[in-house]
Amino acid sequence: MNSEALTRDSAPSPARATGWRAWRLLLLALALPLATSAADDVRDQQWKTVEQMSEEDRALFDPATSTPRDADIPYIPAEPYPFQPPYTAEEMGYRSSEFVHIARWPLGIVDVFGVVTSSGYINQGVSVSYTKLSGRPGLEGYIRDVKPGEPYAHWTMFDMFPPESEGTQQLWIPYRTDKEHTTKIDYYIYSDSLRRVRRQPQPIRDQRFPDNSQTFDDVIGRDPWEMDWQLLGTDVLYETVRYPNTRATVTHNIGGQLVERQTASIKMMGDKYAHYRPDGGIDCFVLKAAVREDWLPGYREKTLVFWIDKHHFFPLRMEKYSPTGELMMVETRFAELESPARGDFGFAAHTTVYWNLEQDLISYSMHDGQAPREWTDEQKRTIFTPEFMRRRWLIDPIKSQAVVRDPEQFFLRPKLYPGKFPGERNWTVKPEIQARVDAQEAAGHLVFVTPGDGAATAQAEAAAGQ
Amino acid sequence: MSMMRSRPWVARVAGLLALAAGQAQAGTVSDMFSEVDRAMAVFDPIGTHVRAPIERAVPNLRFKGFIRQWTDILLEQQGQTGFQNQDYRFLQLQNLLELETAYHIQEGLDVNAVTHVMYDGVYDWQRSKGLYADRYFDQAELYDTSERLLREFYVSYRRPNFDLLLGKQQIAWGKMDGQFIDIINGMDRREAVQLETEDFEWRRMPQWMANATFHFGQNSLQMLYIFDFEQDRFAQPGMPWYSPALPQTRSDIILPTRRPDTDDFGDHEYGLRFDRMQGSLSYGFIYFYGFAKSPTEHVLGTAQRGGQTLLRLEGRHERLHHAGMTADYAFALNDVPLVGTLPMVVRVEGLYTNGVRFVDFREQALARLGAPTDGTTKRDTVRAAIATEFGLPGRTTAIVQASYYRTLNWTQTLGPGFGGGFGDAWTLIPVAFVSRPFAFTRDRLSMEATVFPILSGPDRGWQGVKTKLRLIYKVSQFVKGQLVYNGYDGGAPTDTYGQYNHWDNVGWELSYEF
Repeated sequence: MNSEALTRDSAPSPARATGWRAWRLLLLALALPLATSAADDVRDQQWKTVEQMSEEDRALFDPATSTPRDADIPYIPAEPYPFQPPYTAEEMGYRSSEFVHIARWPLGIVDVFGVVTSSGYINQGVSVSYTKLSGRPGLEGYIRDVKPGEPYAHWTMFDMFPPESEGTQQLWIPYRTDKEHTTKIDYYIYSDSLRRVRRQPQPIRDQRFPDNSQTFDDVIGRDPWEMDWQLLGTDVLYETVRYPNTRATVTHNIGGQLVERQTASIKMMGDKYAHYRPDGGIDCFVLKAAVREDWLPGYREKTLVFWIDKHHFFPLRMEKYSPTGELMMVETRFAELESPARGDFGFAAHTTVYWNLEQDLISYSMHDGQAPREWTDEQKRTIFTPEFMRRRWLIDPIKSQAVVRDPEQFFLRPKLYPGKFPGERNWTVKPEIQARVDAQEAAGHLVFVTPGDGAATAQAEAAAGQ
Repeated sequence: MSMMRSRPWVARVAGLLALAAGQAQAGTVSDMFSEVDRAMAVFDPIGTHVRAPIERAVPNLRFKGFIRQWTDILLEQQGQTGFQNQDYRFLQLQNLLELETAYHIQEGLDVNAVTHVMYDGVYDWQRSKGLYADRYFDQAELYDTSERLLREFYVSYRRPNFDLLLGKQQIAWGKMDGQFIDIINGMDRREAVQLETEDFEWRRMPQWMANATFHFGQNSLQMLYIFDFEQDRFAQPGMPWYSPALPQTRSDIILPTRRPDTDDFGDHEYGLRFDRMQGSLSYGFIYFYGFAKSPTEHVLGTAQRGGQTLLRLEGRHERLHHAGMTADYAFALNDVPLVGTLPMVVRVEGLYTNGVRFVDFREQALARLGAPTDGTTKRDTVRAAIATEFGLPGRTTAIVQASYYRTLNWTQTLGPGFGGGFGDAWTLIPVAFVSRPFAFTRDRLSMEATVFPILSGPDRGWQGVKTKLRLIYKVSQFVKGQLVYNGYDGGAPTDTYGQYNHWDNVGWELSYEF
């Protein structure tokens, strides 16, 4: 008997191997939640109301709800930005508004984005994007350097994937707004198949984009003066964006190099964040923002709850509630220090996951290959115009290999955290969605078949067999 | 009696069983869909096994393409309709493969090529005497000439303030649906009234030209020098969309059409386009010194045959001066009842054409009597449109567009000519379009409805209405399918839509992009 035969004989038959794999997966699926649930329970109990906050945290918080207003801009606080501690809830809200989805400095990124439905239909895109600003970088530049009704930035997008939209381009020219000047953007699309630049009506702010979870405002950001801010308390976050156990590695574009990273090793605010707790958690303030009817009449996303890190006020998690109090969406983020020159203000969203609970849609947006840019005057004049799109010229391609290759490898739904801040949050979801959440948590990846006995195992087995 | 009493109990049990079975079945069906979705999510064989390896092997080469299948089927087969023997059902069984490659030589310098091949199975896959164009015109069935196969081929040289594109290319001017200042390239119009804006990309006839653009601030100036002429290709006798209002053969003597000659410097075309952006307003102006894309028949003389006087007719593409403008403006209305904020865009576009040569039937009649006339008359024409696009709740888009065509100093004896009213002094087409995705399908299914009514005056009045309904379904990020209905109603048998009253059809389109 040769060695090949020995190997063949000692190996289990395909049927036995499948059976053993199924058992192992089943055991793993049963054992893992048991092992991790105890740890999760402890981690999920660290939230505190304002009354329960530590002395140290109390010292950082100013409970005042009415503070002097700015002489020139009557709807913003008089205290100079970025404020000094102790901070009012409103000031924390302003600080968190520094970190909108697209960083507030001139940059280049490749935005890798996508959505998955509960049946496993997946739709993704890859788009190279450049931005330039009209004023100084940061929220201060947005507030002070541009008058309401004037554009504060120009964002270009050049689609690279999927093949259907390859060559399609967009130009967004977002405006500084106030109560009188409500136009948010000038919006142009160059359609490669029509070979035309078409000006589009601006998207409705609280309406999600077609085939996506996120709304226009999730992308462009909301102005802090459009909301009433309240501090709910503190919490410790241990997880935000969650990779499935079917995706051990992800390739990121770091400084132009494609680097394969272990997904388990990716930290919530990157390796350069200096304030992780010894157990890996991040201390957060939890803020509630109620949209002001006088600023945004009829706005559907009535209440927002933010988990912002205590040191930079970076929003790591956000929940959106409807006027009737139903949970509409959960957004979670991974951040990186993308502009070290800006210090505390140099963090930016790297990976954002949006879970729309009305349709059970999970979207993501990954800002890969992100780097600050200094545009020459000539570039500023030429690149950021509608006519430039007709040239079909991607001046500086940025590569990414971060698309999700298979629905099984899509990001997990964010955690619901039942029990945290009762009365202020509503974590109940439709039973069929809860069943999918349970199946996902048991399997460690999204489960697309009907949740029930062995569903996760069956799908995991099918995935393993591929 | 007992039966009567047992009925509610039986019904309840049966109901519960049906519910349980239904739930089980619903689970099974949704799992089946899920399996299909997950399989289709990774279905990209050409992308994976052809495109990716090629791009890996030649890093400077970009390679993409698509395969598309269009089928349109007549709802009813009418037999003899006007001059057309409508003994066929399939209006098109078209299969199109297109490949686009771009090779990056150095910064700002690229070579681009688009090749495609199309096969239309309507001539082979159904038995018909009415469809015979493939016997005298190969391209009706298969693109088999280098002119059709090599669709675009040009070198592009780009600097921040300057572009130069040399070679075979297509140019789309304008911002509107339809063709107003989109006048540079000829078009393959074999589908007649069923040709729509979204098909222009594959139906335009690219031309060899030099295309330079200067960019300065918020302005750009484009200059075209075109040394290769391409005319429009209309449906020919024996093709599915050949007009039933026109006879399949003619008694007059038709001489070969005289086309502008590439070797003759005097036959070249020139274009200018200026664009400017000013805040929420962008606008542009164009001038094009070119040739009419369809020929006008000139009378060269007469001949006697069987006691009849026949005209000797030669088609000629006439020199035209086109001057046009385009503009768009965006704004939002607040506190609009029912919708709240209403984002809107208004687009306008117009074209004035000087020196359009029309066939004049009165002049032709005089020529037949021996008068010294070439049977044509010159007129100027205007065509313009204004469109308003609304961004409505529910990810719904609505567009209302009024398109107007006018022949100045029109007389009833004029035939067709570029830009003017459709067989009339003026024509108005108030188009309405609405599109929305369905949230219950997670926006994978979307619906589009368009209505194109045609009114004209002073002669014809109502020329019919075209209704187009489209359901589009995204199977995956690579595969898309759609079902389309096109209906033609009203108007007289010689009117623009009226002649196609018996051409109502349904169809599908499947496309795979890689």
